Amino acid sequence: MTTVTTPVNVIRRDTPVGRTRVIGGIMIAMALFIMWVFAFGASSKATSIITFNPLNTSGGAPWTLGNLTVPSRLSDVVLALIALGTGIETIVRIPAKRVMARFGFVSVLFLLGLFVWTVRSGGPSPTNFIDLTDILVNASGITMVLIYGSMAGIMCERAGVVNIAIEGQFLGGAFVGAIVASATNSFVFATFAGAIVGALLGWVLAFFAIRYRSDQVIVGVVLVTMIGSLTNFLNLTFLTPYQQFNTGVTPNSIPIPLLDKIPIIGPLLFNQNMFFYLMYLLVGAMSFGLFKTKWGLRVRAVGEHPQAAASVGIRVKGVRYFNTILGGAIGGVGGVAFIALHGQFNPGFTSGLGYIALAALIFGRWRPAGAVVASIIFGLTSMLASGLQSFNVPVSSEILGMFPYIITIAVVSGLIGRVRAPAADGIPYKQD
Amino acid sequence: MSENKPSIWQRYLSANPVTISFLAILLGFIVGAGVIIFSSADVLHAWSQIFNSPGGILHALKVTFDNVGAAYRAMFTGSVIDPTTFWHALSTGSGWDAALTPLSETLTYAAPLVIISIGVAISFETGLFNIGANGQAILGGIAGTAFGSMIHLPMFLHLPLTLLCGIAAGAFFGLIPGVLKALTGAHEVIVTLMLNYVVAFFLLYSLLSTPLQLPGQANDLSRVILPSAQLPTFFNTATTLRVNWGIVIAIGVVAFGWWFLNRSTMGFDFRVTGANPNAARASGINPKKIIIYVFLISGGLAGLAGVVQVDGTTHSLDGGFLIGSAGIGFTAITVSLLGRNKPINVFWGAILFSALGVGGRIMQAETGIPLDLATIIQSAVVLFVATPVMVQEIFRLREGTVHTIQLNTKGWGS
Repeated sequence: MTTVTTPVNVIRRDTPVGRTRVIGGIMIAMALFIMWVFAFGASSKATSIITFNPLNTSGGAPWTLGNLTVPSRLSDVVLALIALGTGIETIVRIPAKRVMARFGFVSVLFLLGLFVWTVRSGGPSPTNFIDLTDILVNASGITMVLIYGSMAGIMCERAGVVNIAIEGQFLGGAFVGAIVASATNSFVFATFAGAIVGALLGWVLAFFAIRYRSDQVIVGVVLVTMIGSLTNFLNLTFLTPYQQFNTGVTPNSIPIPLLDKIPIIGPLLFNQNMFFYLMYLLVGAMSFGLFKTKWGLRVRAVGEHPQAAASVGIRVKGVRYFNTILGGAIGGVGGVAFIALHGQFNPGFTSGLGYIALAALIFGRWRPAGAVVASIIFGLTSMLASGLQSFNVPVSSEILGMFPYIITIAVVSGLIGRVRAPAADGIPYKQD
Repeated sequence: MSENKPSIWQRYLSANPVTISFLAILLGFIVGAGVIIFSSADVLHAWSQIFNSPGGILHALKVTFDNVGAAYRAMFTGSVIDPTTFWHALSTGSGWDAALTPLSETLTYAAPLVIISIGVAISFETGLFNIGANGQAILGGIAGTAFGSMIHLPMFLHLPLTLLCGIAAGAFFGLIPGVLKALTGAHEVIVTLMLNYVVAFFLLYSLLSTPLQLPGQANDLSRVILPSAQLPTFFNTATTLRVNWGIVIAIGVVAFGWWFLNRSTMGFDFRVTGANPNAARASGINPKKIIIYVFLISGGLAGLAGVVQVDGTTHSLDGGFLIGSAGIGFTAITVSLLGRNKPINVFWGAILFSALGVGGRIMQAETGIPLDLATIIQSAVVLFVATPVMVQEIFRLREGTVHTIQLNTKGWGS
């Protein structure tokens, strides 16, 4: 603790006071939900088993970890009390920082409580254990695609071009990626092909947005629909008759020696396909590039105040073209990554993932690291929607399917508090 | 620019909204032709053979024109009029059903499209982007079907109340993005897009669970709307002519839209906000109130479109209701951009795109070219309409009165 005191009015809040109270209230509501529904919804004798060994050990099993058997009701009560404590602390203290971190923590407690409740012995679920590693590994695929999408968005938006066409770049990249991967059996070629198609789509967006100063949101939405129907069209005219171009090959996992043996973390982070490792490089390069290099400073200057940037000799349009094309290429690779996950191309199968990626980058405040955290949250939610069905949860699959989208709405409605986009985001640049 | 008043001919060749729209449609069809050419094995094969025989290039051109021509001919005969059946009807006096069916289908599909497009146009005119019209329409359809199929009332009450149910459901669903935007600044594009997915799940849910699902049915099918709540058709239901009172409602909505935007106080406030939000705020218009009302009205009209579709045409819901190739909501966006938010132009735009959709189905049946071509053409048209300067450059038009369409909402909210 330093002895220097900061005047109260200088504290810069991440989240306004009123909104912090609301978030604290939501946290308390979640805690009470864990208590009433999960804790008291389980009989006092029920137990839940949490396992850590992946079910699919094709790439080599990590060192085994014993199973954890816990009493269902007691553990849910404990989880509820911790969540309640955090919620009350938030409301009473109104912390200036890390409100969202607290919210994330309570969300994780909520998920744990849910898992413990769903797999309780004597419950409706056919299995009475939950595999933590498997859940995380299952969620990692969608998370990866979302991270690619949000990086594609950040790349464009930091330079002041709204890239709402991420969904279209996904679809275009996935379509071409599926063909190239099926034809050559190589995902390296597929990645290049996807990147080229994505870059082309990025160029189209840039062409309309920069050269003709069209409304970027309209152009983006139209591009998504156009690529969506074009891939539907080509799927029917080309992939349906020539199925050898849509064989559904998926890349192999590449285990990293030794690291992949660590329980939980190993299968999750170090025994994945090439797109996962490429993603590490991408996120690292973008965080470094945007915030630590001259190039990044120029990009951000163009996104914040293009006139000022132009006055010091930065070629605003050139930077915007370059970044939008690069962002498109990243989106295209994201589409190939989605194919790597999904196998076969199906029309419209990204089902709004590109827009969720857009929400993730807003949630992450236009920073790569923030977008990664947001993508993990969305990835977990999406997995939950599909994964919970196997546990016979008494909620219909259609209602569970709405979850990721509702959470996205909650996020953009400012549950996160104040977000500030790059000042010139979406505003066409007019050279004087 | 010369001082003289331009001649009529010069005015036609300047970048005015009408010329730009026609040229954009033309360019859209050219793009569509390109897609047909590059996806047709016959055409590509013919072009690969042009050096193998002396008349190769002529043959390739002929194959190209045959393919593109067959597609567009099927589109036209399927949606407007088929000269052979028309002549047959004219000369023999029988078979008028078959001759008029394409037009009837076009008007049938146009009715909900006109209504929803007016709603979207009102939101555009205010500078807001309601991409959620699709979801609002589906919810309107669900509410209308529920009321029309499960409540028993005499027709003079049942029909209007069913329509009102659809309007109310759509307006309620439009209220969500409106209120969220007004209170928290959440960008309406993301919220409405996400709500579309939520509604898609809700549609399946309601079609697969007890009250609305057709009793004894395991598939995603709803109960059938009772005759007392159905929109009557103009012709005997034994014919293939399905055109119904929905088109009359649509014309009424066009009149309402024209009155609302041009003659009403609130419409004036809307347009001022759309033209310059800062000026609107300075003159005492409450922007939050405007946002909420826009989404209320836009959503209500979308809901009406949904209920008109189910009540006039299908009489029951299935899992693909209004979703189709890209969804009626997207088509509505293209229609209102094409009509530049002027209700009367929007009406003609809706007729055109409805014909494109209806003709696209016939084209798919006759030539095997997927219906998605219609959506590709639509997207291309709207891309050109949204970028008039490009059309102007392509056709070397004079400077005119047309402006690039810009939405008010920049950035991503608070």
